[in-house]
Amino acid sequence: MTRATDRPGLPTVFHERRTYRKRRVMDAARVTPVLALILWIIPMIWPQEGDGSVSSATALIYIFFVWAGIILLTWGLSRLLADVPDESSDSET
Amino acid sequence: MSTLNLLVAVCIAYVLFLFFVAFAADRLALQGKKAWLRSPLIYTLSLSIYCTAWTFYGAVGSAARNGFEYLTIYLGPTLVMISWWWLLRKLIRIGRTQKITSIADLISSRYGKSSLLAAGVTILAVIGTTPYIALQLQSVTLSFSVFAAQSDGLAAQDQAQLAFWLSMGLALFTVLFGTRNLDAKERHDGVVMAIAVEAVVKLIALLSVGIFVVWGVSGGLSEALNRIDASEFGEWHTDRSRWAGLIFLSAAAFLCLPRTFQVLVVENDDESHLRTASWAFPLYLCLISLFVVPIAVVGLDIMPDGSNPDLFVLTVPLALGENGLAMLSFLGGFSSATSMVIVAAIALSTMVSNHIVMPIWLQLRPRGASVSGDVRAAVLLARRLSIVGVVMLGYLYFRLSSGGEALASIGLVAFCGLAQVLPAMLGGMFWRGATRMGAFAGLTAGFAIWLYTLYLPSFGVGTILPMAIIDNGLFGLEWLKPNALFGIAGLDQLMHALLWSMLFNVMAFAWVSLITFPSPLERLQAAQFVNIFERSANARSWSGGTAQAEELMVMAQRILGAGEAQALFQRHARRQGTRGDLPAPTPDFLEALERELGSSVGAATAHAMVGQITGGMAISVEDLMAVADETAQMLEYSARLKEQSEELSRTALELRNANQKLTRLSIQKDAFLSQISHELRTPMTSIRAFSEILRDTDQMNPEDQSRYASIIHDEAQRLTRLLDDLLDLSVVENGQVNLNLREGTLRDALDRAVSSAAIGEDGVQLKIERDAAKEEILLHTDLDRLSQVFINLIANARKYCDAKAPKLVIRVMQDADRVVIDFQDNGSGIAPDAVDMIFEKFARVSDQKAGGAGLGLAICRQVMTRLGGSVDYVPASRGANFRVVLPYRTALAAQ
Repeated sequence: MTRATDRPGLPTVFHERRTYRKRRVMDAARVTPVLALILWIIPMIWPQEGDGSVSSATALIYIFFVWAGIILLTWGLSRLLADVPDESSDSET
Repeated sequence: MSTLNLLVAVCIAYVLFLFFVAFAADRLALQGKKAWLRSPLIYTLSLSIYCTAWTFYGAVGSAARNGFEYLTIYLGPTLVMISWWWLLRKLIRIGRTQKITSIADLISSRYGKSSLLAAGVTILAVIGTTPYIALQLQSVTLSFSVFAAQSDGLAAQDQAQLAFWLSMGLALFTVLFGTRNLDAKERHDGVVMAIAVEAVVKLIALLSVGIFVVWGVSGGLSEALNRIDASEFGEWHTDRSRWAGLIFLSAAAFLCLPRTFQVLVVENDDESHLRTASWAFPLYLCLISLFVVPIAVVGLDIMPDGSNPDLFVLTVPLALGENGLAMLSFLGGFSSATSMVIVAAIALSTMVSNHIVMPIWLQLRPRGASVSGDVRAAVLLARRLSIVGVVMLGYLYFRLSSGGEALASIGLVAFCGLAQVLPAMLGGMFWRGATRMGAFAGLTAGFAIWLYTLYLPSFGVGTILPMAIIDNGLFGLEWLKPNALFGIAGLDQLMHALLWSMLFNVMAFAWVSLITFPSPLERLQAAQFVNIFERSANARSWSGGTAQAEELMVMAQRILGAGEAQALFQRHARRQGTRGDLPAPTPDFLEALERELGSSVGAATAHAMVGQITGGMAISVEDLMAVADETAQMLEYSARLKEQSEELSRTALELRNANQKLTRLSIQKDAFLSQISHELRTPMTSIRAFSEILRDTDQMNPEDQSRYASIIHDEAQRLTRLLDDLLDLSVVENGQVNLNLREGTLRDALDRAVSSAAIGEDGVQLKIERDAAKEEILLHTDLDRLSQVFINLIANARKYCDAKAPKLVIRVMQDADRVVIDFQDNGSGIAPDAVDMIFEKFARVSDQKAGGAGLGLAICRQVMTRLGGSVDYVPASRGANFRVVLPYRTALAAQ
């Protein structure tokens, strides 16, 4: 019961460095799906006819590489978020 | 036929194996060895219930037909899983705190426990899932027929029989392991374990086929990629709207499908498992879809034209003579189909029995038969019948649709139908303003459009929707054509239905929510759902239990008192065998604590308090109302107690006053007795003495004789007067006096009194002031008695007035209904503590001036009461003031 966030009552405005880091990790976890969505929506703007069209193998490799990257990223974030105390995740500081 | 027999044998062996796994898992769970059963890995694998036979076989078929589109079905759930931190964590926390048993329960619970919404979602789920179950049956019979084709084929009759026995077996399995116990949390350890095993089989089967195709057939990774480029796939071709739409649709379906909701939320045992699943399940999906394209490409290459690409996973190994691999692949498909049917049946039966059968049963049930075991048996029966019903419904659908193309496309149609729940679900989780009416409007709008534009047309043109409607629109209105609403034609049918249904769903949901007002229960639930992390901040489900025990201790001390609370905790700690004073917050202990607290603060309050700390449960409105009820009862009780104690203290005060008065009276009486004996003895003594002198003295001059005799006479008279007074009082007091009523003026009565009492025996003259004019009042009363009262008052003033020049003012006042006569002297008055004594018998203000027996005022009061008036001592600014009041009736009667 030493950290400010552990105490009940009003949330504090500023956090010490570790808490601040944790919060940024949470932010990253929140935006990961957006990143994945953008990367997987990109095939929609690939030209489908004529010059510059993407070969199927390349498309397959692209999508699966994004997939693997996202899995790795989520894995890393979930490791970092493992010991986050179970508090409100909605405060904005 | 031998292959088929072998296949049946393998199938039966596999099913028996699953039975064994489920049975063993249930046994282990009963023995409390849950740690291994409920690991993050098992949770992740059980999520693979999303990948049914439709994805196992159909993905390759879809890839062969539509290119990369099949990927969207896996990308959507991946997006959902990596949104675990802000979406799934909240959903699961809500599910755990609110004890959600199904998606219908979630929606109903969020919107004020609305049974109408629950029934609506249930019906939607049944409509959306039945064809899906049929699809699984179809895939199994199809895969059987592939093997049968190698020998002598499978007749349609046999297919139907196979599907029937398969569905019966699945129903049996589900009833056995799905309704073993009626846990409030609806967790099924055996089923989850069996599904995890099946998930592994699915993955291994598909990976094996994939590896065989890439390294065995194509000869390596780069060759396989070249082969893809060289095939019909060639270049990247996808319908852009379908690419985006299907990603959204599969993501929505992953959240809303009853079976995925079941394993994702209901069967979740520990929130931390989600952390692992967040990356492990996307990995599973990635692996499942990894070899789909190579298999499709090889299948298109080597299989003859016209062969069903949906079965490439089976037919490619068979065509290449890999029977063992084909068998494994068959088991993979079989696993996908069976696990889907089992979990869907559990999820749907929970919804059907909880939201449709039980409400009806409770309505129809005769009153009075409300034993708890009774309901429990009914729920179990309803659950079992629902399972059989749901599976049989799927079987019937399979028979009626008789397989074919219509069934193959039903997967996405079902997705689209169930996705209609998404706005109400997400809105309920993140928007407090979402209302029941809004959810109902959104669901209805979305469901209706889905039904009209997608579900009914999916049965084939002209089967349910007549051709006329499809060609000309509903009621002949061009803009109501089911495939071109509002005249927007050219869209893919699925995307068209998805766009309009979701658009109208969201709009109706938002608009109606904005204009309606939620009920209190809804608002409470809204706050609990949206702010779930704030509400359940105490639920330290990720950390240990000591913090809880400490908090419980603090609370118990506050309520029970330190000594008793510590004794209680120590007792339980010893019983649990824990070192230290704090027991683990086990259900037993919590129950005991709740009982203990309940005796102090009421059961509902205790339940709510313990619930708050352990976070095991949310407080429902019923709980709050019970708490309020208890509090009101206690308030009322304490108010009654207070009233009673006030009354008691009042009575005690009165008693104390009465006692004081009695004590004083007793003292007065003693004084009076000694006085009266003295008064009596003094004349007696002189009478005896003089009478003895008269008797014993022989020669006595007549002068002395006469003097002594007159002394004896005087003394005897004094005695007589005293005795007269006593007699008079007792007569008046007992009401035996006869009033001599006659007419006269008040002035006459006063004149008589003044003349007889103003001058005492000692000759002291009392000056009396009167106003003769005011005294001219005619009275009809006992004037003699009235004069007696006046005489007494005047004589008292003469005797007790301590002024140097004693003066008495007699004032007469007259108002509407009474005549008031005041006798005020100029002395020092009567001491306040003696005021309430002066009208008592034997009371005398002072001993030394005592002339009478202390009966005068007592007689006065009795007389006035008899005359219908009163005499009182009235505190005045100076001197003693006695007030005689005569009722006017007495006066009027004289006029």
